[in-house]
Amino acid sequence: MVIPPIWKKLPMILAVIGAVGGAAGILTPSLTKQFAHSYLLAFMFFLSICLGGLFLTLIHHIFDAAWSVPVRRINEHLAFLLPIMGILFIPIAILAPTELYSWLIALRTDPAAAHADHALHSKQPLFSFGGFYGTAIALFAIWTWLSYSLRKWSLRQDDAGKDNALRVLCTRKLRVHSAYGIYVFAFSLTLAVIMWMKSLEHQWFSTMYGVYYFAASVWTTLATLYVITTVLQKTGPLAGVITKRQRHDIGVLWFAFTVFYSYIHFSQYFLIYNANIPEETYYYVKREVGTWWQVGMVIIFGHFLVPFVAMLNQDAKLKLPLMIPLAVWAWLMHFCDMSFNIMPLIHKSGFSVHWLDITCMAFIGGVLSIVFIKYFNAHKPYPVNDHRLGEALGVHQYEDHK
Amino acid sequence: MSDSTVKYGLLAEFDTAADIMHAAEKVRDAGYRRWDVYTPFPIHGMDDAMGLKKSKVGWFTFFGGATGISLGYLMIWWMNAYDYAIVVGGKPLFSAIYSFPVAYECTILLAAFGSLGGMLFLNRLPRWYNPIFSSERFKKATHDKFFLAIEAMDPKFSDTETRKLLQDSGSKHIEEVRD
Repeated sequence: MVIPPIWKKLPMILAVIGAVGGAAGILTPSLTKQFAHSYLLAFMFFLSICLGGLFLTLIHHIFDAAWSVPVRRINEHLAFLLPIMGILFIPIAILAPTELYSWLIALRTDPAAAHADHALHSKQPLFSFGGFYGTAIALFAIWTWLSYSLRKWSLRQDDAGKDNALRVLCTRKLRVHSAYGIYVFAFSLTLAVIMWMKSLEHQWFSTMYGVYYFAASVWTTLATLYVITTVLQKTGPLAGVITKRQRHDIGVLWFAFTVFYSYIHFSQYFLIYNANIPEETYYYVKREVGTWWQVGMVIIFGHFLVPFVAMLNQDAKLKLPLMIPLAVWAWLMHFCDMSFNIMPLIHKSGFSVHWLDITCMAFIGGVLSIVFIKYFNAHKPYPVNDHRLGEALGVHQYEDHK
Repeated sequence: MSDSTVKYGLLAEFDTAADIMHAAEKVRDAGYRRWDVYTPFPIHGMDDAMGLKKSKVGWFTFFGGATGISLGYLMIWWMNAYDYAIVVGGKPLFSAIYSFPVAYECTILLAAFGSLGGMLFLNRLPRWYNPIFSSERFKKATHDKFFLAIEAMDPKFSDTETRKLLQDSGSKHIEEVRD
């Protein structure tokens, strides 16, 4: 299969259209608030995929997994898009104290009144100007370090050739970075999503929020990974190394995260419903107004039930005519989910897709795709020197001893 | 003595995992249906070599789970909203939300029962006795030998042909097992 030339230009077309549309949004004063929220939505959507790539790389090394060796390079590249996300964070950093976060706006315009808000005052010093920008810089520094280290040692192993000492050293380094990295990942992801998405409603409480975003992120990443893997297999670069097993195992994890995400989101809702405390319930009350109610139903049935039933059968995970449309569906669901979190703040009466939502998605998606393709073409398509590559390709143990 | 017993089948012994793997492929390709492999440890790829189809246990799990969630919801509705209607915490008498945890636990419980029961049923267990244990050499199946047994009930079984197939597969020792 050959990719038609138009598809190769698609990322650039998306990035340009997105940039033009986004610029129009910034320059039109009446649209600035809409642009800020649309951009945040697109940013959180794609941040999911980058963090998901980082997570899949980390657990690959922690579990010393064999099956995921052929797809590891894709995850490493996805994770190393995080420094790019750091640059793409700039519009949010600029618009945060004027358009996005009510508590930053309050701190800027009337600090004394802001401190009278107990929910804000008790969150000092984290919820301050220094806290907001300091954590953003720290988070991107941490993610850049982790994703850079995990990719650097993996790429070095490619060039190690027959130098076994170096190959072993690379594997060891990757494991060390993953061992502390998984803790750093968990805390940093939680902090990021609290600062950037949950703090839109800083008076609200939910201890599930970090793990909720994590579950949604890895779910979306697995759908993305399924598509990227299939495309790269069908078009050549990974033709020899993606077997049924890789596709099946990505499907299994994706299925597992379908259940995990639902479990977490339900738990968040259920605890708030049962406790019935106004400080918490207002969040969901807002999201049952108008068509937000229907979006909630779409999340229950579309984010959980449809993929759950579709992937329940073991063989379903190998059927491309089912799984590829399901991955597109997953992106749509993740978009609805992020919208459900962000947009009720400016569209109180119900769900709506603004054209700026589309242009912001196109811009960030286009830019990340361009960089990803650049990364992929610059390096070996999979870790050629990994000690478990043979095992991943189904070379059975008994054959090793013949 | 031998007149009062029934022939169970042929038991072939192999020395290595690779040998039994190739033997299993041969027996599979010859079209036998009632046969099994006994090894001291799991051998990756043996399912393919034996041509085993996907287990049907999943269906038992699925119907167990579906029964569980239905019964769980029915039970809570009956207890809290019908038989002894009682308001708790200002919640509706029945709601799919508050009753979900219990219905969910019932799903898991009956799905687990379905899996276990289905597995036992499909394996025709429990069973007190298997004629293959009458072989002295078979005890090595948990130590360092690999065994392949073809039952006499198999439609393709023939004393001479089956024995020849096992010999050609490289078995070092073939014995007839009687029940």
